[in-house]
Amino acid sequence: MIDLWFDRGTLLLRGDVGTPYGKWDPRVGCYRVKASHYREVLSYLRESMLQFRDSVPNLPPVETLGGGVELRPYQSEALVRWRRAGKRGILVLPTAAGKTFIALKAMSLLKTQTLVVVPTLDLIDQWKRRVQECFGVEAGTVGGGESTVRMLTVSTYDSAYLQADVLGNRFMFMVFDEVHHLASPGYMQIAEMYIAPYRMGLTATYERSDQRHSLLPALVGDLVYTVGVEELAGEHLSPYTYEKVYVELTPEEQRVYDGEMRVFNGYLREKGIVLRSAEDFQRFIMSTGRDKRAREALLARNRAVRVALNSEAKLDLLAKQFEAHGCERTLIFTLHNDLVYRISRRFLIPAVTYQTPKQERREILENFRNGSYRVIVTSQVLDEGVDVPEASLGFILSGTGSTREYVQRLGRLLRKVEGKQAKLVEIVSKETVEARMSRKRHQNLDGEA
Amino acid sequence: MSTLPSELLAVWRRKGTVWPRYATLSAENLEVANSLVEVYKRHVGEKKRVVKELVDGFEDEGYDYRFVRGLSLLLDRRSRFRCDDRISPVDLRRRIFRAAGRLGLPTTQERRARIVEAVASDVKVDAAMVEQFFQADLDTELTLEEFEPLSPQELLQEYNLSLTQTLLFDSTEVRFTSSGNWQQIFRSIKWLGLIYEAYQAERVWVKVDGPASLFKLTRRYGTATAKLVPVIIASPEWTVEAKILWKYTNEICNFKIESWKHRALMRKTEPAQLSFDSTVEEDFATRFQALMSGWILRREPEPVLAGRQVLIPDFSLEKDGTKVYMEIVGFWTVEYLLRKIEKLKKIEVDMLVAVNEKLACEKLSNLGKQGRLNVMYYRDKIPLSPVLRYLEHAFREVKANQTNLVRELPIVFTEPIVNFEELATRIGVSSEAVKTALTEKPPQDYVIMSDKMVRKDRLEQIGRTIAERIRQKGRISLSEAAETIETEGVEDATGVLEALGYKINWRGISTENAEVVKP
Repeated sequence: MIDLWFDRGTLLLRGDVGTPYGKWDPRVGCYRVKASHYREVLSYLRESMLQFRDSVPNLPPVETLGGGVELRPYQSEALVRWRRAGKRGILVLPTAAGKTFIALKAMSLLKTQTLVVVPTLDLIDQWKRRVQECFGVEAGTVGGGESTVRMLTVSTYDSAYLQADVLGNRFMFMVFDEVHHLASPGYMQIAEMYIAPYRMGLTATYERSDQRHSLLPALVGDLVYTVGVEELAGEHLSPYTYEKVYVELTPEEQRVYDGEMRVFNGYLREKGIVLRSAEDFQRFIMSTGRDKRAREALLARNRAVRVALNSEAKLDLLAKQFEAHGCERTLIFTLHNDLVYRISRRFLIPAVTYQTPKQERREILENFRNGSYRVIVTSQVLDEGVDVPEASLGFILSGTGSTREYVQRLGRLLRKVEGKQAKLVEIVSKETVEARMSRKRHQNLDGEA
Repeated sequence: MSTLPSELLAVWRRKGTVWPRYATLSAENLEVANSLVEVYKRHVGEKKRVVKELVDGFEDEGYDYRFVRGLSLLLDRRSRFRCDDRISPVDLRRRIFRAAGRLGLPTTQERRARIVEAVASDVKVDAAMVEQFFQADLDTELTLEEFEPLSPQELLQEYNLSLTQTLLFDSTEVRFTSSGNWQQIFRSIKWLGLIYEAYQAERVWVKVDGPASLFKLTRRYGTATAKLVPVIIASPEWTVEAKILWKYTNEICNFKIESWKHRALMRKTEPAQLSFDSTVEEDFATRFQALMSGWILRREPEPVLAGRQVLIPDFSLEKDGTKVYMEIVGFWTVEYLLRKIEKLKKIEVDMLVAVNEKLACEKLSNLGKQGRLNVMYYRDKIPLSPVLRYLEHAFREVKANQTNLVRELPIVFTEPIVNFEELATRIGVSSEAVKTALTEKPPQDYVIMSDKMVRKDRLEQIGRTIAERIRQKGRISLSEAAETIETEGVEDATGVLEALGYKINWRGISTENAEVVKP
């Protein structure tokens, strides 16, 4: 008798038989297969008319899903393409275009044990809320110290990776929210260590600057549907305007900035170093581990950048903007936590950072949602995923040069509300390296935003 | 586990080898460690921000920032930071944000002051307190409440262990050998969800990785293997080797630490006290040792290879090159016992299995001898006499086998003097067996002595020297003869003289007065 069972993220096949994708494991004297080949192994054994015992799945009980989901035409189209591709594949839709609903519809059709994998704890809460609203059932949670598995379960990428050993055989369908995360070397193994034959990847920003997104089709399925912001703006997403405002550093800031940049540029000139690409810069940073002077130069540059990104002038401009815009629902984005806390203190508005206690964070977001709080200031934690439907005004006070970050921040403002006209304002320090960072984030935008 | 963020991991990398920049226990490093410990000690009651500013000062003095921050992080972990909660910052903020929501965003100093005043009077404190507690729960605002000091040396050793573990996070496999602590090591391997393969290369080596390592190099099990390190280095002698997947270049680098070189650098945790699994074992060990039978009983001996897996028998019993193992089986079912015996039979060692008859779930006919495996039964405690009988039998059998082995060895002897002890070690048998086999049938051209054999031409040469001495001096004392013989590399003077046909006329007990004569 052949025995097939799950061993910590892999499958073991006992009995004198090999299998496609299998590899002989001398450590245990059995054939071993990646868990993701579960479906192929089963059909091979069946087609070969081999007697076997399958002890792999350890599925939570099926619950009855009440309610239902109504899809917009483009969402239905995306779902049809995904089903035609063998219930595997990646869907690319802009933030606020209702990716979640497509996945929920797929769950209601498959009626099988499902794991939704998301990047943040906030997104766990959000998915659980949606599942509750849609189907009237409670979703299980894996992450943030909790670990309860139910028919529909939501997990962070971190926990799905760390607990693949014990969760890999518990689901038949996996939804990867913000699927671009899955391409990182560690998280990739989530796709390999789970047996789920049905897979759906969702994202607004498919491409990665490191090109690793090309690995995703093998893990989740092909890119089966793409729609951009323009195609949906107006009808399904709020129309928006964008404005860039330059401020001048205060005289004291300018003096510090110039001094630090002189140190940095002086070192580069002396060593004949030219920093053209991200790789050049990466290499320079590596060299600072060995070379004390290089590190001093880097630190000087970092101090200069901080001055530019966190300029007091930006806060003064922000004050003027607040007066002009009254009490619109507003999100303020920064790169550094220091600035978040300075703004929070100066304007007495709630701050959300990774340091914010979980309970307070929930409360702040809830108050923002119901309108008690009109403005939130945040660093990077709200960049991704979390719905903030009422926000119509956004200020980018500082950020990285990443296009993804920009698109995600913009996405926070675009959820469709009748009559809403969204506005995004970027505040940039004039004639500093920040101006270049800002240009960079708009460079790769064509078509995406 | 004490690890560092990867950006604080300082390493050297050269020609495919990587090793952490360990902090040697030099006067300078000890001085830095001491100063940092003092910073924490003296600033109990101060804000974390104050402590960190002082720590930053060491970086400015030119010490490697990774070293300084690494030490500081380890000290943070020995500290208790607490938020001043006379007023709850979370509650205070809620009131402030609500007030600001009600009264409108303060875009001027005056409007801001009004909101703060309103909240202050609400909470019945003054405005300065509101400002003070508004963000009092931020990490840098916490107060260092308690610090558990350690010596500078311990801090450096802890730091070095952390470097090792942090580097191993990126390992794809680890190999190690150890002089002991095996039971705990293998228990940890199992508990950490790792897979091992054991092999013999002078000593028992163990390679550790995980299930998915079969398909590709993965760092997935790095965290778990890092946790194994303190358990391995708790024993006196060890070597740990690893393959590190260097993430910045995607290169595989070798890493190696050895006890003789690195022991002093690393913090050593005490190995868990060996406790007996059962009182039966403990009782047996005590009574057996009291017997003074000449057999050396050892608990947790070096593992025995069973294919690629290992077995750590309860005891090893050793006497003059003969080694047998002993397993004690308490509770059992027929299936369990048969499975265990099947497994044990695969092992190429002599093994005595003592099975508790009383706790047997089912009756089983006497199993007796199974190849090199012997099964005996006991009731309340293990009787010593059958054990000793088995041991003596095994001893004789091993002796006989070894003698046979030596007899059949196709060795050609060329050295002038062959020491039995050395030869026995070389071929892995007891010296007894060597002597028995060689005395029985001495190789041509050799004369057998008590613990060695001497080539005849060498013996004759010694004979000529002694004869010459006697011719010159008329007579020779035993002590003089012994000196001559010893310079030729043989200690057993009387044996040599006897072989040469000399007799010794003793006059008293002094060797100087004893005369060597030809009868």
